[in-house]
Amino acid sequence: MASATPGRRFIVAILLACGLGAAGAEGANKLRVVTSLPDLKALTEAVGGDLVEVDTLARGTQNPHDIEVRPSLMLKLRRADLLVRNGAGGDPWVEPLVVGAHNGRIVPGAPGYVDASKGVPIIAPTGAVDRSRGDVHPEGNPHYTLDPTLAPIITATIVEGLKRVAPEHGVRLEAQRQEFLARLEVALARWQAALAPVRGARVVSYHETFTYFLRRFGLEEAGAIEDRPGIPPSPTHLAALIRLIREQKVRLIVAEPFADQKVVELVARDSGARAVALPSAVGGSKGVETYLDLFEHNVRTVAEALR
Amino acid sequence: MCAAIIALLLLGLAMVPAIATADDSAGPLLAQAPAGPAPGGPAPPPAQPTLTDWARPREPFSLGERTGRGQLLFDLGVAGDFVANLTQDNIDKADAGTFTGRENLFFPREIELSFFGQIDPYARGEVRLEAAEEFEDGARDLHVGLAEAHLTLLTLPYGTQLKMGKLRNRFGLLNQRHFHDLPQTDRPNVLVRFFGEEGLTESGAELTWIPDLPVYLEALIGVFNGDNEDAFGRSSLKVPLVTGRLRTFFDLATLGAIQVGASAASGQTEERRTQTFVGYDVKYKLTPEGWRHPLLTLASEGIWSFREGEVEEETGPEDRTFRRFGWYIYGEVQPWRRWAGGLRYDYTQLLEAPGREWAIGPYLAFMASEFLRFRLGYKHTERDNRETFNANDASGRTADEVFFQATFILGAHPAHPF
Repeated sequence: MASATPGRRFIVAILLACGLGAAGAEGANKLRVVTSLPDLKALTEAVGGDLVEVDTLARGTQNPHDIEVRPSLMLKLRRADLLVRNGAGGDPWVEPLVVGAHNGRIVPGAPGYVDASKGVPIIAPTGAVDRSRGDVHPEGNPHYTLDPTLAPIITATIVEGLKRVAPEHGVRLEAQRQEFLARLEVALARWQAALAPVRGARVVSYHETFTYFLRRFGLEEAGAIEDRPGIPPSPTHLAALIRLIREQKVRLIVAEPFADQKVVELVARDSGARAVALPSAVGGSKGVETYLDLFEHNVRTVAEALR
Repeated sequence: MCAAIIALLLLGLAMVPAIATADDSAGPLLAQAPAGPAPGGPAPPPAQPTLTDWARPREPFSLGERTGRGQLLFDLGVAGDFVANLTQDNIDKADAGTFTGRENLFFPREIELSFFGQIDPYARGEVRLEAAEEFEDGARDLHVGLAEAHLTLLTLPYGTQLKMGKLRNRFGLLNQRHFHDLPQTDRPNVLVRFFGEEGLTESGAELTWIPDLPVYLEALIGVFNGDNEDAFGRSSLKVPLVTGRLRTFFDLATLGAIQVGASAASGQTEERRTQTFVGYDVKYKLTPEGWRHPLLTLASEGIWSFREGEVEEETGPEDRTFRRFGWYIYGEVQPWRRWAGGLRYDYTQLLEAPGREWAIGPYLAFMASEFLRFRLGYKHTERDNRETFNANDASGRTADEVFFQATFILGAHPAHPF
């Protein structure tokens, strides 16, 4: 086949550009929202419906504390109309990404900047906050999306942000939020009923990710494998934890998919407790695609493990 | 009068908006949390501030009072970097080690105090003060200075941003990095030989632009005084140092990510001769799914120097452009979260003298946590230029050095770029 002439190449390039433009036109009227964490993406999609096109910077299988500041993430933010971040110290890597995105619509203080932790009753750290206790968050435990009863506050903040950049959709956004909360209300009753028989059971976690979840459903966090956040546990701590699990007859260890599974298995084997991997965010496990899926999966897994 | 003030304060407190509560229309189960968590539920929101709270000094003047959210107006961090090095006596005598004048010593290389945060809704600021021990003619002196101070305008149109002040220039991969952030104990030879031990730090402004394209592309143009004495030294905005950079990035999903850049800087020397640098840089990182750190990092940077000068020919002095080149490449593997090891190779032609040097250096790092790192390294250097490195009747041609580095971070530290 003869090679294309420069003129032909130019025409092909123009046509391709037009094609790309047409493909992009479908989503052109939607609000482009980028969230720092996948739970916030799920909640934004739940209240935004087809008014929004949502992307997330971190995936559900990633540790939200260790997201690399990649230019590809800045590119996502470059085009965003709205940024919804977790805040409360849970996603500090968002700040250099926002600076690198060159998008004045989503910088702190701009209408397109939403800190979803606003108004959330964050679990505060106890005692003095210094790094002898590991990479502890001075702002408190940032994993608040794992308490479904906080969804009204979080979604109210998200809708408030959406309304700032698209006030014409205010009524519809609020209606969609109410519809979502109604579904969540029904599901919450079901989840509480499912875990009622095991209420008060003691559970060991890997990191303090599931604290909100456990407290909400009446489960007691007896200890954590990672006793100092961000620092691998010492053999002394693991030995003490194994003793504690045996003495207190703890039956379940819950760990995030990105936790050190070898350590989890070691503690489970030596203590006799059962270890389960729980997704700590939407997308953290197969089939966990929505905010409701996340709790359906985790409630079912914990209930079955403690039965 | 006091009563009036108290009344005003009480009125102010009453007007503080209440922390958001659940929507009234949410069902009873959902409404329970914000109104008052169930037993064992999250702690309730902090109570309204009392008069005593209001009377207490505000941040940042009461750093010790930091107990709640959002009290500090900006972030504050301290980075400490200590280096020890051991080398042969002749290298020590000739002051020809990597840390010139500090051979066979343990010394604080950089203690950095940094402040950073939002200035207002439109700009972000960063100030870094630096303290280090300086060694000159055998005497030690404590030097405290301004390492960087700049602001970035964040809300300019068309995907642009302007950074101005005193800053580490975005030239290549590692010039921007402070000592404690370098991937090895020392800065690569090419950067030291071409820009000096501190690297290229200039006063001026950089305009960056990220066009709205499907792929990441960052374009930069900068205008600076040209204060760097090793490379430029004209120090005048009438004949400024002009810099440029293009950077792109490809996310290869499970195969890692790669960044490619090209940089240029052109200005005048103190002798009013044009000096131009052109460079490439490439960096690859492989972080397996679910890992908290990269398994493999590979990076390289090369710089060409074009310096106008004068040579004596038989017919008299003649202008000539002296071309020099230097580059480095390093690879690092981090199979465990706390341990990393790597190797760097350097090759550099000397900027102002004939000859070249090459070096190779393996290293091993232990990260006790994200905020504390120890590094042990070895570096073998060979040079083919006697005049530049031989001094005090000692040869500086072949150096074998052992480095130990301890680095800590106190408080806040911004996340590093890719």
